[in-house]
Amino acid sequence: MKKLFIIALSCLSLAAAAQIDRTKLPEPAPARNIEIGDYEKFTLKNGLTVILVEDHKLPTLGWTLTFNTGPITEGDKAGYTSIFGQVMGAGTVSKPKDVFNEEIDFMGASLNVGSSSVSAFSLSKYKEDILKLMSDVLFNPAFPEDEFDRAIEQSLTGIKQSLDNPDAIAANIRGVVNYGKDHVYGELVTEETINNITMEDLKQHYAKYFKPNIAYLVIVGDIKKSEAQKLVKDYFGDWKSGDVQKETFDMPDPVTKTNVSFVDRPSSVQSVISISYPIDNKPGNPDVVKLSLLNQILGGSGLSTRLNMNLREDKGYTYGANSSIGSSRYSAIFNAGASVRNEVTDSALVQFMYELNKIVSEPVTDEELEMAKNSAKGSFARSLEGRGTVASFALNTELNNLPDDYYATYLKRVDAVTKEDLLEVAKKYIRPDKANIVVVGKAEEVAPKLQQFGEITYYDAFGNVVEDPTKVVIDGDVSVESILADYVKAIGGKEALDKVRTLEYSTKATLNMGGQSLELTRTVYQKTPDKFLDLTIIPMMGEQKQVYNAGEAKMIAGGQNIPVQGPQLDAMKYFAILFAERFYSEVGFEAEYKGIKKVNGKDAHRVDVTIGAFTAMEFYDVESGLKVQADLGQNGLYTFEEYTNYDGIMLPKKLTVKSAALPVPIQFVIQEVKVNQPIDDSVFN
Amino acid sequence: MTRKISFLLVFCFVLFGAMAQNIEFEEYDLDNGLHVILHQDNSTPIVTVSVLYHVGSKNEPPGRTGFAHFFEHLMFEGSPNIGRGEYFKIIQAAGGSLNANTSNDRTYYYQTLPSNQLELGLYMESERMLHAVIDSTGIATQKEVVKEEKRLRVDNQPYGSILEKMLANAYKGTNYEWAPIGSFDDIDAATDQDFVDFYETFYVPNNATLSIAGDIDVKETKKLIEAYFGEIKRGTKTIPRPEITAPKLDSTVTETVFDNIQVPAVIQGYRMPAQGTEDYYALQVLTQLLSGGQSSRFQKTLVDDKGMALAVQAIPLGLEDGGLFINFALPNQGYSTEDLAAEVDKLVEQVKTEKVPEREFQKLKNQIESNFISGYGSVEGIAESLADYHVYFGDASLINTEIERYRKVTREDLMRVAQKYFVPENKVELTYRPKSEQEKPEDTKVKKEGGNR
Repeated sequence: MKKLFIIALSCLSLAAAAQIDRTKLPEPAPARNIEIGDYEKFTLKNGLTVILVEDHKLPTLGWTLTFNTGPITEGDKAGYTSIFGQVMGAGTVSKPKDVFNEEIDFMGASLNVGSSSVSAFSLSKYKEDILKLMSDVLFNPAFPEDEFDRAIEQSLTGIKQSLDNPDAIAANIRGVVNYGKDHVYGELVTEETINNITMEDLKQHYAKYFKPNIAYLVIVGDIKKSEAQKLVKDYFGDWKSGDVQKETFDMPDPVTKTNVSFVDRPSSVQSVISISYPIDNKPGNPDVVKLSLLNQILGGSGLSTRLNMNLREDKGYTYGANSSIGSSRYSAIFNAGASVRNEVTDSALVQFMYELNKIVSEPVTDEELEMAKNSAKGSFARSLEGRGTVASFALNTELNNLPDDYYATYLKRVDAVTKEDLLEVAKKYIRPDKANIVVVGKAEEVAPKLQQFGEITYYDAFGNVVEDPTKVVIDGDVSVESILADYVKAIGGKEALDKVRTLEYSTKATLNMGGQSLELTRTVYQKTPDKFLDLTIIPMMGEQKQVYNAGEAKMIAGGQNIPVQGPQLDAMKYFAILFAERFYSEVGFEAEYKGIKKVNGKDAHRVDVTIGAFTAMEFYDVESGLKVQADLGQNGLYTFEEYTNYDGIMLPKKLTVKSAALPVPIQFVIQEVKVNQPIDDSVFN
Repeated sequence: MTRKISFLLVFCFVLFGAMAQNIEFEEYDLDNGLHVILHQDNSTPIVTVSVLYHVGSKNEPPGRTGFAHFFEHLMFEGSPNIGRGEYFKIIQAAGGSLNANTSNDRTYYYQTLPSNQLELGLYMESERMLHAVIDSTGIATQKEVVKEEKRLRVDNQPYGSILEKMLANAYKGTNYEWAPIGSFDDIDAATDQDFVDFYETFYVPNNATLSIAGDIDVKETKKLIEAYFGEIKRGTKTIPRPEITAPKLDSTVTETVFDNIQVPAVIQGYRMPAQGTEDYYALQVLTQLLSGGQSSRFQKTLVDDKGMALAVQAIPLGLEDGGLFINFALPNQGYSTEDLAAEVDKLVEQVKTEKVPEREFQKLKNQIESNFISGYGSVEGIAESLADYHVYFGDASLINTEIERYRKVTREDLMRVAQKYFVPENKVELTYRPKSEQEKPEDTKVKKEGGNR
């Protein structure tokens, strides 16, 4: 019997298999109507607007309070809104941070505070307990000083790290060139602005904006309307409303001509390219849907967009190129960009411009439009699974005064879009001839080829205009020999230097990071002709030694003894020879004059010194003749300051080392110098 | 005796407060051995179609490491009916999204589509199970892609080699010794026939689980599954299931890794028993104790109170035949990795000797319960969990009941497993240091692989 059944089954499967034609894609079944869930809205007497989405699928509940503050210009205290939440969220007047956090964790719940929001999530059985904590921190925040100090320290560390990140630099400059440094969308957070922040600023922000009449409370999850109404009244009913003066928003000036803003990052092997300009595309603008379809075709998600097909698949310039068209009730940004190899930076820009011009001048294909529509509809459908989606639709409708059926009719509006519509919005919004091109990369290699795209302005990472770093001004009156001779003279003269047989100097550096202070000591021992020891002591990490002795070098750290070879050996040789500037050519250092550059605002002669595979760029101050900087590539950027007389020899009292390998720049200050005090040779073993 | 009673009381209390999870599903086998799991939820018109192949890096023959992950790429190359590079395009044009991932134990493919495209999802998955194109062009293309992926995700990723280093030290001599990304030398050395053999061995219906969740009609779906998957032949080769028994370590294994990082790190790993065992659940609760939330012991003691660490996180790696209890710590400026490691050790030792206080223990249970309940908000998550529970434990219904196993863990269990597993014979300690501290050029090419995508 069983056997028969199996045979019957397998016949069935054969019959079924015969029905399908694998050479064609199966046809979709009729699409199901997409229904957007319901929500409730009510307002308290104090002006608090409540949006409720009941969803009983899971026994969980979320509360999100959002303040419609409008844009907030931070000015010379830029960065305070980003630390606000950390400080306000650190406990309440009656519950120190420890107790507060433990109570949240005890329920397996979470609670977050931001500069314009407070939110909480828990199992629905803990709804009152979490509301108690949420309302406590909302009405009675402690703003503890120690958390403030910690937040400031962390921000300062964060800035230092982001300064090395080309994407972060590009984003900063994009804001500056499109909006200006004083505009809320262009202002930059710097060490200075962070240090200007006081606790009072945070408290003022709290007092000014945390009012029910500009707030929306969104409740999503396992709760009945009647209970929600009661809880909201109990916990937020007594909240006093207040007059909130919002800032007016200044629209940016339109870009009139395409230009290039360049940030020099000499260590870059890739250029970050961005083509951007502000656009006016408010939610509810009839063009919003058309623009999102247009963007999907140009450079939205996936590998089959035009930008990816061209720059990635066809040309292989980049791992990914993309575009975005924002939507905002203040001002939005069009942006297209990629990270590309140095040598193809100009070619990549040519292709970006080609694609932008093409989409403005000819209609997209039917296939492209169809795919973009399906992709938009599919992602809309998938988004509806998220519990917060209906609520966020409701909040957007509310904040932007959209028609009530705005999201319900979304799919219809997608379907109605034609190729002609897309060409029309492309002509209206895509402006390759009126764009800000921002490039962060190695200027020397990349910048000269970018003039074809527009006038080039150079910026530093903080959005300040700087001189063209590629400009070489050759001073015909100097040579390598004269620069080095002037330097030798400036630090004491050849005769005095020739008498130096040994040199020993000890330095100290203090590091302040993450609330911790740490003192390093570095002592350098040098002996003619070519013996060198750098002994650095780092608290709790012990000694680190770098030794060079007559052509051999090693590094000793953490008990490990590592021989040094290759380019690093050449670098060690560069450090090791005492006052080598006296006779670069004799010891095999090749020196070449490269013209005048600005170093910290002052003219300096650049001399490139090459030893084997290692090159140092040295900068000698035009006025004083002193060596003010040395760029040692991977080994860091050395800045020399406060030349001081020690026994007739001028040495820089302060040495600052900046390197990708260090979390912050380190400044060593000379404590003691010993000239011609005997040093035993065994020191260099 | 009195002690036992108080325990019972605690236990009852936990049960009383317990929430019921009820995800309904149906499961059955096709004649060719393909296991099917269906979960119907019509609230949103989308569906996830997924296939789990019970093959991970541990199934790779020595000298062919990286194969399982390589197949994760190769399987998108197409079939006689789906052109090269078309797979992504077809799904995208249908409004869907897709992805795949590979672990030491299994490979998982999924696509989430508008529910009227269910048939397309079945067609696409059945095409690659029936007759994926495995040829030299596809192999060559994917070699480049996988190299690019490794460069981006592993080599350029700070601390990207942790998994590889941990496994290599903790599971030496077993098939857990290598991470899913494997070795390029092995991939490069492989012949086209090696790839075909691997496909014919592992990519067969009797080694696969088809898990579907979302807006479906069960009866209709079953018919379509039969039509698309019924004709695929059962595999004829023996599927190797290597045994993993890691020999005891002599004592703690230590290694220093020089990496492209700015902040050093110390990572301690202890070998764990296989997922699903009683001790495994107790160790999971310990993870929660040490690093779950702002009030956890690592966060509170090392980050907030002592200010020694930028971050400390317990990241358990549960595996089918073993696993690792991993503590990852980044020292703050001014503290050495040695000091921080010693403090982490102290907190770990404390668990061995001091019973976790009642309230803290209750907190752990509550956190685990909350995570368990909030974890199933998407059909993608449900499809994957159902498949995992079936394949790892032979019981998909654990999606509703696994929480009971956590509830059985007692405070004594926590002490017991800490004493049993947190011992030098189970321990690997890695120290990551910036490359700048190491100047010898030859050594900068320390092999770094890991991750599992």
